[in-house]
Amino acid sequence: MVEFKIRRYDGEKSYWQSFEVPAKRGMTVLEALYYIKENYDSSLAFRASCRMGICGSCAMKINDKPRLACETQVLTLGNTVKVEPLDNFKVIKDLITEFDGFFEKLKAVKPHLIRKDDNYAEPKELLQTPEELNEYYVFTLCIKCGACYSVCPAAATLDEYLGPAAMTAAYRFCADSRDEGQKERYEIASSPNGVWRCHLAMECSEVCPKNVEPAKAVQLLRRKTAFSMLKSLLGW
Amino acid sequence: MGVSGWFRFKGRSLFSWAFTFQRLTGVVLLIYLLAHLTYLSTLLDTTGATYESMIAITVSRQFLIFDILLILCGVFHGVNGFRIILHEFGIAYGYRKPLLAIFIVIAVVVWLYASYIMYSLTGG
Repeated sequence: MVEFKIRRYDGEKSYWQSFEVPAKRGMTVLEALYYIKENYDSSLAFRASCRMGICGSCAMKINDKPRLACETQVLTLGNTVKVEPLDNFKVIKDLITEFDGFFEKLKAVKPHLIRKDDNYAEPKELLQTPEELNEYYVFTLCIKCGACYSVCPAAATLDEYLGPAAMTAAYRFCADSRDEGQKERYEIASSPNGVWRCHLAMECSEVCPKNVEPAKAVQLLRRKTAFSMLKSLLGW
Repeated sequence: MGVSGWFRFKGRSLFSWAFTFQRLTGVVLLIYLLAHLTYLSTLLDTTGATYESMIAITVSRQFLIFDILLILCGVFHGVNGFRIILHEFGIAYGYRKPLLAIFIVIAVVVWLYASYIMYSLTGG
């Protein structure tokens, strides 16, 4: 039996509740949460969807570290497992946090290819070499789970800060050889809530379940933004 | 979350500790700078008596512990700051973990050496 200590929230107050779960080899934290929901308390609220580390819905703090519940094995965590909602997000109920602001920030950096010659009537193939793909490929693996944002000390002190995930998305498209919207994104990234707010704690890269390295993306975006600003100042 | 978000260490890596200490040492150095400038303003007394009386208090064995802590703040802030600047230019990001360990060792060695010098100067 493994004790699950879950930090719950009913809309008014936050409290801890414990449940005993018969853990077996191969059982994930997400399965344990479903076990609790089906056998002890059907009111336990949490987000989950794909159950295989692709959708990013089940990110939560497990034993003090943000992880995907569907990819965390219960037996690797000891006899007591502490489960909490992610930090830096407003809690709605139990383990469910408000993600509207997080997705608004992602949208703000225009995370899509911007082309001057968009013509849907006569689409043309955009060619890219493997080297050009490697420039940004690792950053396409982000599943928007919010783990990086939850540990960011800059996001902890400033709600408006774009955060590591949004800036990784911005860099992913700025580094794409097919994209022509760099200038627009550099302006967004150099805003007061953009790249210059990052103080390089680098914890985002440590907790990313997909090893995306958001801190690296932010620094690379910062360099590109700085060069872009320098060029515009010098009139090049 | 507010400023308390800077002081969450449970489940965090050494990078978060480095970040927090960078902030704390920065605040300490700022306070020291203000105190230092105030201290130097005693030189306005051209006889030098006020300055000498201040020196008598601060350059002493009793004050050594504060000097050693101040050196720790200065050395850590400088060495760790250099590491951050390197990474902020996109340099050696792939080696961030060994670099953090190396820079912490450098900071501790420099701090211990400087502390020994201070200890010797105050007649230790």
